[in-house]
Amino acid sequence: MVSGVLPKAFLALALCGLMADGAAAQGVVGGVTDADAPVAQSDIDSALASTGSSEIADPWEGFNRKMFAVNNTLDKALLVPAAKGYRAVTPKSGRRGIRRFLANLRAPGVFVNDILQGEFGRAGETLSRFVVNSTIGAGGFADPAAQIGISSHSEDFGQTLAVWGVDSGPYIFLPLVGPSTGRDGFGAVVNLGFNPLLYVRTDAASLARYSTAGVGGVSAREQFLDPLAEIEAKSLDYYASFRSFYTQARKREIANGKVDYSDLPDIGEFEEFDEIE
Amino acid sequence: MSMVSRMTRLAVVGAAAAFASIAPALADKDAETFVAGILVEANSVFEAPDLATRNAGVEALVDKYVDMNRVAKFALGQYVRQASEAQMAAYLPLFRTYATSVYQSTLDPYTGEALEVVDSVDRSERDFIVNSQVVGAKPGSEYADLVVHWRVYRAADGKQSIVDAGASGVWLAIEQQSTFKSVIANNGGGAAGIDALIADLKTKVGE
Repeated sequence: MVSGVLPKAFLALALCGLMADGAAAQGVVGGVTDADAPVAQSDIDSALASTGSSEIADPWEGFNRKMFAVNNTLDKALLVPAAKGYRAVTPKSGRRGIRRFLANLRAPGVFVNDILQGEFGRAGETLSRFVVNSTIGAGGFADPAAQIGISSHSEDFGQTLAVWGVDSGPYIFLPLVGPSTGRDGFGAVVNLGFNPLLYVRTDAASLARYSTAGVGGVSAREQFLDPLAEIEAKSLDYYASFRSFYTQARKREIANGKVDYSDLPDIGEFEEFDEIE
Repeated sequence: MSMVSRMTRLAVVGAAAAFASIAPALADKDAETFVAGILVEANSVFEAPDLATRNAGVEALVDKYVDMNRVAKFALGQYVRQASEAQMAAYLPLFRTYATSVYQSTLDPYTGEALEVVDSVDRSERDFIVNSQVVGAKPGSEYADLVVHWRVYRAADGKQSIVDAGASGVWLAIEQQSTFKSVIANNGGGAAGIDALIADLKTKVGE
């Protein structure tokens, strides 16, 4: 039962390790590998260039871009048609119910990570939500907890590691796994252990586990059909846009929804530059 | 460590964290008023039933309130210093068209909704973030926890303009800079890279 899930995850980790050996030394930020950038830049230049921590190191950009292309091929051939079919045969409220049900299944993992991060108030919210939604919320399909003012939040072990001070490490993109980082990829493997179904060794539990994984993938993809199509249509470089959106959104998720405005790059500091012109 | 001293330490850390999180979050009334005025106009644009009218409305708002040249230069990152006058002359109008279309598609999901200012944060005396939310969003709905940010820049003469917009911590101009730098770097950097970016922008906006 356990063996069904873990090898895939370890393979992903092994891949991380292999790539780390070869490419860790490069340390390129934001995919910018500009050999002919001026050696001596003025202070204005460095101010202009800085995007604070909005950017992530992507030393494996070449590999990641290939994997991103593979993923998009699979995505267009399999996941998008499945998501569109799912959208066609289900009402909007039904899809929302499925998303809530799947989110409710993740609550035990969220709870553990709340505790590990010392967020006892949030742990209480997670526990209350799980109890309320699992009972009067029809096993999680409805969200009465939100109606009484306990809104949902996400946590995973990658976020816990971030709170503990572990840096994100390099960006990594794997087909069907999606975007991650060294830290969050490791966190995702640990997070598998928080799935209660992992410890029930019956065929029914295995079926439930694979079904929720499959439905979860399709359900998540359905939700992002329109935004991702929009981003791809507008972007000059889909890979770079995706990486930026992912990095920005993940940072906020780790900060428990609080946006750190001090980290933003300056946009309004061109006076000096205007005078030079 | 005893339980009591641990609790004391937690309380001290908690109090310090609470204080630190309050300290920089000073509201700026002028920036909030500026954005509130824009949102009044934007909300009437969101009421238009057809896409063409909404797009024209957003374009007019962008022309009026967004300092597009400032954003365009930011989006080039460090390469702004390497761009020639001819390249900038080609790039700036293309960026305006491109960024306007991004604003149009980004704001379209708010059709039929209305945004209102909820608070603001000042990063410096010239740089503000004004946050807005969908009016009357139902708990548990997709709009419930959504925060739409507006980055306001105040020039030395006091004139205010929008230099970026975002939702829930994800910003448009930051993504544009990241993507443009990637396009330039992957096409040889410098002048050649900037030419490639201009060519890509031309294709994207259909010129």
